[in-house]
Amino acid sequence: PKITYNFLFKFLVIGSAGTGKSCLLHQFIENKFKQDSNHTIGVEFGSRVVNVGGKTVKLQIWDTAGQERFRSVTRSYYRGAAGALLVYDITSRETYNALTNWLTDARTLASPNIVIILCGNKKDLDADREVTFLEASRFAQENELMFLETSALTGENVEEAFLKCARTILNKIESGELDPERMGSGIQYGDASLRQLRQPRGSAAQTKQQCNC
Amino acid sequence: HRLRASGADWRPLCGGTHAALFLKVGEPAKNKQTNLEPHTRPYELQSKYFLSYHSSVADLTTVCVCVCVCVCGTRAKTHTLFLCPVHFPVGMFTPTGTCDIPRCSHFPTSFSLPRSLFSWKPKEPKPAAPSAPGWKLFGKIPLRDNPPKDSRTIQQEFEAKAGPVTGPHLQSQPVRRKNLEFEPLSTTALILENRPAHLPAKSEEEAQRHKQEYDEMVAGAKRRELKEAQKKKQQLKERYRQEESIATAMVIWNNEVLPNWESMRNTRRVKDLWWQGLPPSVRGKVWSLAIGNELNITPELYEIFLSRAKEKWRSFSETSSENETEASLADRESSLDLIKLDISRTFPSLYIFQKGGPYHDLLHSVLGAYTCYRPDVGYVQGMSFIAAVLILNLEEADAFIAFANLLNKPCQMAFFRVDHELMLKYFAAFEVFFDENLPRLFQHFQSNTLTPDLYLIDWIFTLYSKSLPLDVACRVWDVFCRDGEEALFRTGLGILRLYQDVLLQMDFIHIAQFLSRLPDNIPAHTLFNCIASTHMISSNRRWNQVFSALMKDGIKETDRNSSPALRS
Repeated sequence: PKITYNFLFKFLVIGSAGTGKSCLLHQFIENKFKQDSNHTIGVEFGSRVVNVGGKTVKLQIWDTAGQERFRSVTRSYYRGAAGALLVYDITSRETYNALTNWLTDARTLASPNIVIILCGNKKDLDADREVTFLEASRFAQENELMFLETSALTGENVEEAFLKCARTILNKIESGELDPERMGSGIQYGDASLRQLRQPRGSAAQTKQQCNC
Repeated sequence: HRLRASGADWRPLCGGTHAALFLKVGEPAKNKQTNLEPHTRPYELQSKYFLSYHSSVADLTTVCVCVCVCVCGTRAKTHTLFLCPVHFPVGMFTPTGTCDIPRCSHFPTSFSLPRSLFSWKPKEPKPAAPSAPGWKLFGKIPLRDNPPKDSRTIQQEFEAKAGPVTGPHLQSQPVRRKNLEFEPLSTTALILENRPAHLPAKSEEEAQRHKQEYDEMVAGAKRRELKEAQKKKQQLKERYRQEESIATAMVIWNNEVLPNWESMRNTRRVKDLWWQGLPPSVRGKVWSLAIGNELNITPELYEIFLSRAKEKWRSFSETSSENETEASLADRESSLDLIKLDISRTFPSLYIFQKGGPYHDLLHSVLGAYTCYRPDVGYVQGMSFIAAVLILNLEEADAFIAFANLLNKPCQMAFFRVDHELMLKYFAAFEVFFDENLPRLFQHFQSNTLTPDLYLIDWIFTLYSKSLPLDVACRVWDVFCRDGEEALFRTGLGILRLYQDVLLQMDFIHIAQFLSRLPDNIPAHTLFNCIASTHMISSNRRWNQVFSALMKDGIKETDRNSSPALRS
């Protein structure tokens, strides 16, 4: 039986190598920590249907490779993303310093209205912390990002990060700030209406009526 | 033989030609004899880490030297183990000088086997091991003696094993049998009982019918059981056939092909034999020869680059704290931290490249030396998998030589330099053959805008060693060494063909998820059949011709044809 949903959002997980992007995704989807983790080469995928503010939203998550060298490849995956988790490792200042580059890429290559949540991962390793919560939250504020410290190991704030991002997108749709009809918004109407992302725009009004909002 | 003692938790026990086994120090085997003295307590080989790997490392000539460490850590003893070609090290040994390899079907061992202490595979019968004197402890076993002796042993054991499956098996494990077989039957037999007194009794006719139904059920159960037994017998037979063909192939490779490499490598017969998969004992050798050494790297040159790398690491670790922020991210990434990080994430389930594992330093050295040898390329994610597979099959310097030469091939260079333009050409060529071989699936992918880069990047960068089970990946490497880059794309099409039916039912995200995490239980045999039925000919043009035609096309052409996902 197919799970129907009202919206489909394209999400990215970006950030430097070894910050725990794939582990965050795994924790979000499987509800457990990925022990024998490989490094991602190119891109990997995950998806999960979540309930946000009474709406069913399917998240289509693109988990990208972190190495600088792959950036020319991963950049091409940004197009049409509605949301992104920008991940750094609280125990590595280097990954924090790289945030500006990632952010520039995301803002220029994805949809201009992309909703980004900054995730300071490995919260469980507080003893090795190199980036304080305060510093990162200031950075988030300056760059208009949401911010959470997460732990893919314990699962703390992992679900919250994805949900918070999805909720913000939904709010923006409802307030009219985001137009799902616009090309490359990274948002599709759900399969409750059997409508596919890449179909022509024409059938939109019809779709809206059909979805069980 | 390589014995590397390092790390606190894990100690290498065995360094066979290309194999390493570990014993978790301080962890006694899970056997029932718990009252053994510390020094005689048996240990378990951590075979679980190798079960998925057995067929690519172990073969008839694998002889392992094991160092056994006692619980208290004060005493170590060396033992020799012969490993089964198929079951690799489902074995254990004790520090008292006896080694037991529970039922590696046909393994003649020169030491006496004690009563089986362990129940790794409790169901497997353990006939007395035939003693076969003349096995050498170190180095290769003389081949002449081996195969005839082996096939006889196989035959005997096969008969001994195949017999019990149908009947006498019952006696050995009555309790188990009862649970599995009789209980359901006895429940079924309730149908024969009379009804309770307060209900109307069964009529004669009804009782007759119940009896008949019961008989049918019993007959059905018997049929199923028989079928099951036949299937098992068939599997066993198939396994012995495989073992024997490995043994035969090994003799041919060693005695005929390798000594006459240049003249024989392109013959039909060798190519056919090659397709069957290289016997693990000659695999490294054949890979080395096939990859070649165009770069003329010598072991001495490797040592030079290695010491340069070590020098770099040393100087970096001394200054790291102050220069941390100044060092350019890319530079750091390419050399140090990322290599370290990725090594721990390379075949993590094997536990041999991780910190404390026997090949950890080795992998580090090979990758480090490469970044000094080719600073223009540096370390790129995916390399650690390639180096790891080579290290599992070759000695250190040879592994480096093969590694550097392999990465120097045009396709690998294009990918590891992340040369977008060129990668697009490869994807475009792949799509030509995709359309040719699997037109329906190709259409389906197109309509879902599922571009080849989404799955091919991982496959090509790691030469399938990340996405396929290691033994299957090694066979893909065999074919890659035989046929070159074309084989990589052909394998990709083979995988798509294998799963065509399921993929046709999926939408974008499910296909993408499926292909970025292939099922663990890919049947090698079926996969290679799918690869074999993938023809790398399109409108009379072979891979090379299609690819160079695409290369000749102007940049405009690329823009029009490029995969949507890679247009940026």
